[in-house]
Amino acid sequence: MKWFINSMLGFWILLLAISLGAAALVCEIWLKGRV
Amino acid sequence: MFDFAIAGVQAPIFLLVLVGLTVGIVGGFIGVGGGYMVTPALIVFGFPGYMASGIDMTHICGKGVVSTVRHRQLGNIDWTLALTMIAGTMLGVELGVRLLVYFKHLGISGVVLLVTSVALMFTLFLYTQLETRRAHKKMEEMEKEGREIGRELQTSNLPKVFQGIPLAPIVRCRTARVIVSMWVIVLVGMVTGVLAGFLGVGGGFIRVPALVYVVGASTHIAVGTDLVEIVVSGAYGALRHSIEGNVDLMAVIFMIAGAMFGAQVGSIATSYVRGPAIRYILSYSLILATLGAALRLIYVLTGQNVHWLSLAAVVLTLGEMIFLCLFISSLVWFAVRRRGGKWVPDWVGPLVI
Repeated sequence: MKWFINSMLGFWILLLAISLGAAALVCEIWLKGRV
Repeated sequence: MFDFAIAGVQAPIFLLVLVGLTVGIVGGFIGVGGGYMVTPALIVFGFPGYMASGIDMTHICGKGVVSTVRHRQLGNIDWTLALTMIAGTMLGVELGVRLLVYFKHLGISGVVLLVTSVALMFTLFLYTQLETRRAHKKMEEMEKEGREIGRELQTSNLPKVFQGIPLAPIVRCRTARVIVSMWVIVLVGMVTGVLAGFLGVGGGFIRVPALVYVVGASTHIAVGTDLVEIVVSGAYGALRHSIEGNVDLMAVIFMIAGAMFGAQVGSIATSYVRGPAIRYILSYSLILATLGAALRLIYVLTGQNVHWLSLAAVVLTLGEMIFLCLFISSLVWFAVRRRGGKWVPDWVGPLVI
């Protein structure tokens, strides 16, 4: 887990995973049927 | 759900406010309008393409004013550079639009646009990323040696080449601390204008790297100065789209409600970071936008039959906005911690002030 904070690449991957997860959630809840 | 009568669309208000907020933060931080993120998002929300473009342009103009005022207060705008470049940009946009019309007549504009976007954004990403990594590494070494690091450090030799062109009149840009031929600035405006007009975008993601790597301005100045261009082009675009009836004012109001706050946050956030941090965020924005455009290109080339590609492009566009905001917020949070003498990761140290 520390690698995700101490390494820039790790931090990048962590934030990207959170962001894509949140975006997928938005699509599933509010944009279903539109995409 | 809100009924947008002019567009004939029902969409959740909070999503529009959220898009305005996130793109406001990103735009204020890296000096772009964010059209390449907003227009696809609005289309997904159900707005027709022409309406999405009109709403996007109008909101960019309003948001650009807020960001410009903030950057002016932070001393990030070089007016000589901005006003000289506008002349070239105007001419370039006109040429770009004519080029687009030519390709439309040939019947291949859609594919050409996507291929050009992907190639251009990937090239800009690659150059910005590699240069910023070099600058970051150098700053890490300087920090280890206990040397003082300034607000800006860039390792490209291109500015020296362009500043050495002895073509009169030579312009002295006092705020940017750059002495360069006027024709170089006009040419930068024109080339970026052609690309912006051709691709149908504001062109901030092309102009900011051009101002840094060709003219030799610092990243903060490039961001502030580019926002002046965005206000001008956004105002013209908003006027044209309004006359054509492509703007749903209620959607614009909701987006601006979020963008006004976001633009201020993004602009102020630049005062917590050094130049390479802004360039990192710009390069991340470019690679994610490249991936989104590449997915759309493959979707078009496969006859629009592979639906998961379209879905992936949407998730990537929305995810990009959230990702960039999270990264910017994290950098500010790390900067505040560092100022308070608290622990921050080693890689963050040279990037924040």
